[in-house]
Amino acid sequence: MRVRKRSAVAVLAIGVLAVTSACAEGNSGAPAASSGSSNGASAAPSAAYKPAVITLGTAEDSKGPAIPPEGVVKGGTVTMIDRDDFSHLDPAQVYVNTEGNFFRLIGRTLTGYKRVAKGEFKLVGDLATDTGTQSDGGKTWKFTLKDGVKWQDGSPITSADVKWSMERTFAPFVTQGPTYIQQWLTDVDYKKAYAGPYDGKELDAIETPDDKTIIYKFKTPHADASYAFAMAGYGIVPKAKDTKEQYDKEPFSSGPYIIKSHVVDKTMDLERNPHWDPATDPIRGAYPDKWHLEFGFEALQVTDRLMADSGADQTAFTFYGSTPPERLQQVLGDANLANRRMNSPSPYGNYYYFNLDRVKDIKIRQAINYAWPSKQIQQVLGGPAAAALPTTILNENTTVGYESYDLFGKKTKPDGDVEKAKELLAQSSNPTPTIVYAYNQTPVQEQVTVAIKSALAKAGINVVAKPLDRKTYYDSIGKLKNEFDMYWGGWGADWPSGSTVLPIIFGPVADGAPNYSHLKDPALTAEMDKITAETDIDAANTAWMALDKKIQETITPLVVAENRIATMLHGSKVGGAEIDPQMWIVQPDTIFVKP
Amino acid sequence: MWLRFRRDRTGVASAIVVIFFILVAILAPVISWLYGKDPYTLYGQDTPGLLNDFGYPIAPNGGISSQFWFGIEPNLGRDVFTQLVYGIRTSLLIALVTTILTTLIGIVIGIVAGYAGGKTDYFIGRVIDTVLSFPSVLFIIAFMPVVENLFVSADEETPVWLRAVTLVLVLTLFGWAGLARLLRGQVLTLREREFIEAARVTGASPARIVFKELLPNLWTPILIQATLLLPALVTAEAALSFLGVGMIEPIPDWGRMFRRGTEVYTNDITYLIFPGVALVIFVIAFNLLGDSVRDAFDPKLKR
Repeated sequence: MRVRKRSAVAVLAIGVLAVTSACAEGNSGAPAASSGSSNGASAAPSAAYKPAVITLGTAEDSKGPAIPPEGVVKGGTVTMIDRDDFSHLDPAQVYVNTEGNFFRLIGRTLTGYKRVAKGEFKLVGDLATDTGTQSDGGKTWKFTLKDGVKWQDGSPITSADVKWSMERTFAPFVTQGPTYIQQWLTDVDYKKAYAGPYDGKELDAIETPDDKTIIYKFKTPHADASYAFAMAGYGIVPKAKDTKEQYDKEPFSSGPYIIKSHVVDKTMDLERNPHWDPATDPIRGAYPDKWHLEFGFEALQVTDRLMADSGADQTAFTFYGSTPPERLQQVLGDANLANRRMNSPSPYGNYYYFNLDRVKDIKIRQAINYAWPSKQIQQVLGGPAAAALPTTILNENTTVGYESYDLFGKKTKPDGDVEKAKELLAQSSNPTPTIVYAYNQTPVQEQVTVAIKSALAKAGINVVAKPLDRKTYYDSIGKLKNEFDMYWGGWGADWPSGSTVLPIIFGPVADGAPNYSHLKDPALTAEMDKITAETDIDAANTAWMALDKKIQETITPLVVAENRIATMLHGSKVGGAEIDPQMWIVQPDTIFVKP
Repeated sequence: MWLRFRRDRTGVASAIVVIFFILVAILAPVISWLYGKDPYTLYGQDTPGLLNDFGYPIAPNGGISSQFWFGIEPNLGRDVFTQLVYGIRTSLLIALVTTILTTLIGIVIGIVAGYAGGKTDYFIGRVIDTVLSFPSVLFIIAFMPVVENLFVSADEETPVWLRAVTLVLVLTLFGWAGLARLLRGQVLTLREREFIEAARVTGASPARIVFKELLPNLWTPILIQATLLLPALVTAEAALSFLGVGMIEPIPDWGRMFRRGTEVYTNDITYLIFPGVALVIFVIAFNLLGDSVRDAFDPKLKR
């Protein structure tokens, strides 16, 4: 998944300050959540936060209705305020988390994540009766559709519709969206293998023996296919109502709501879909009668409105308008906001990649890992409430079977172990190396760079900072022949498995490919292929986790970067608001309006 | 004229303030040495107990103490006092040099265009049009990386002087046109006045007409323009620094401090006050000084 950038917009205040107000109170009142962290031992964002647990549900779990949150009330109108409208409503074009999140309101997928309790999720059948049955060593996947699932006009959802939805993602006009299953069904260059269903040709790799059964036949085994089918990008589109490009503007609902009106970039209103049956849906609660969505509000405005909690804003919340750093201390320090506050670390993996073509000595790479000023960077970003300090390549929120490890003493010395780094440098090819560090030139990143430079200098490493233009940042670091030694990059898992992270960030080395460290190791590639082909999903997950550690231990291609924590607010009359730890966004399934 | 200036109390006071700022800028290293701190060390991060978990100073008033006179910078924890002293140095130097260059070029070109007239005036007029209509910020953003690629090798950082010189040159390039156009208009009206004609009739050389007859009548617009330009340049330099083509971290910068202050003011107003008040005092003093100097030049124009 592409990582959406949250831009903190600088507020320009023009005005003359009254000198009389020059008395400012101290900032000693840090919230209880982070007390005692001055010794730097704890990087926990808050005492209450636990990484999400995601398990595989059974057929029984896949039956509706959804588990209601505590104190649920049906009815009412809920308001959602955010910065951007959704650029795509056609599921085939949906890859960004905000669009995927919204799609849950108007459309369904074969499988999906059911919230069992706070921070606990099960992958269950959504349209399908269960998470699918595999045969032929994971190459063939069979799903059976539930009874009583209908489109918004009351016609039943058939296996032909599901097949059609997959086929149309091959069409030339579909340029966004995930590409995993298409590649599994055909070839890496899947658009060449099949051009979409619109010229009457069907895709033979998908079979529909009857109206309720659909069978996918992959070229290679994929034990985690049931997770892939949960992506909103594989949401369903009715064959009879498909309007090709036009569908992106007027989607046909299979979910609990129908779009009643939509003023692009301003507002959107949803009302109930009478043909959606909660008994068939284990995921969506759909408690409010109406949804009113407003766009065009920056994160700062959203935060201020939700903090004020006046009038209509009491029933408002936001999908992703998280508290900007300027307001963080205020929001976290205010005890009155405690029950309207949510936080969650980002599900993305963030790394400072080494360019292995230039930093060839592993001793230097490890020395930098030891000397890395994680704590200082955290402070620049706003402290433990704004950023967590992970130690693994795989993210704890999006990895089933996650296990932590700490190779470089980050838990004990988060502000960098200068002695250990010096010791390693003394054994290396160059005890005083120069590292060209390229960074995305934003005010925050400039400050982070100051912290990095100052800390590495203490270990005798000279950092040459190279600011890069933010619009072309990824292009610059994506060039194979770049002249930088280190740079930051992010990657998000598409479903909770190492298979959507490691084989990609250490995948093919090419211009623009996400393998920013240029790691080319045949043994590693072979091992990743082996794990991908593993048919036992638990064994695969354990193997990914072990491989994560092995890569950091034997190759050290990166420094694991800090992980931003989003803090969001919701109105006082909104219930059931929770941040989906995988999508890093407030999910709509449990939202309800208190009377 | 000097006597007239000395009698103007506001003028003298503002002159002292302006000289004080310039002295602070020049003597920044001395001040920092006497004070015992430098603007680059991350005190707040190296010493626990200065900043809280959010990165804000723990002590009241932005962390002001006998150690840190103006408090500590949020997040990075540098010393605000030395940051400000060095920041003034950076911003003032760039703004002053640019103002002087801009004003000089503006005067010369403006008077030449206005006095010579005809084809010269037409040609210069079109150049001014072009410069004024040029999207200067876009140009600078596009131009700075080119300069860096030309003069800086890949494994070196851009030297501070290169950034400063390029900034001064680019800001001058886009700054002179306004003043030149203004002066051209002034000269055009003055040129036809009786006293100039009289001078010409009596056989005065063009140099004498320009220096002795025209220039004294132009000091008012020149001084006003220049005194307005300097603070504008301090802000422009800050804006460029925000866009990543001005002075970037870790070089201390007045304008950037002010901008950062506007971001964190809800939690740490003190950090906004010091650079802000310094900027306000400096701008007002500089404008008043400009007024007084103009009054001294031309006593008949008493307000």
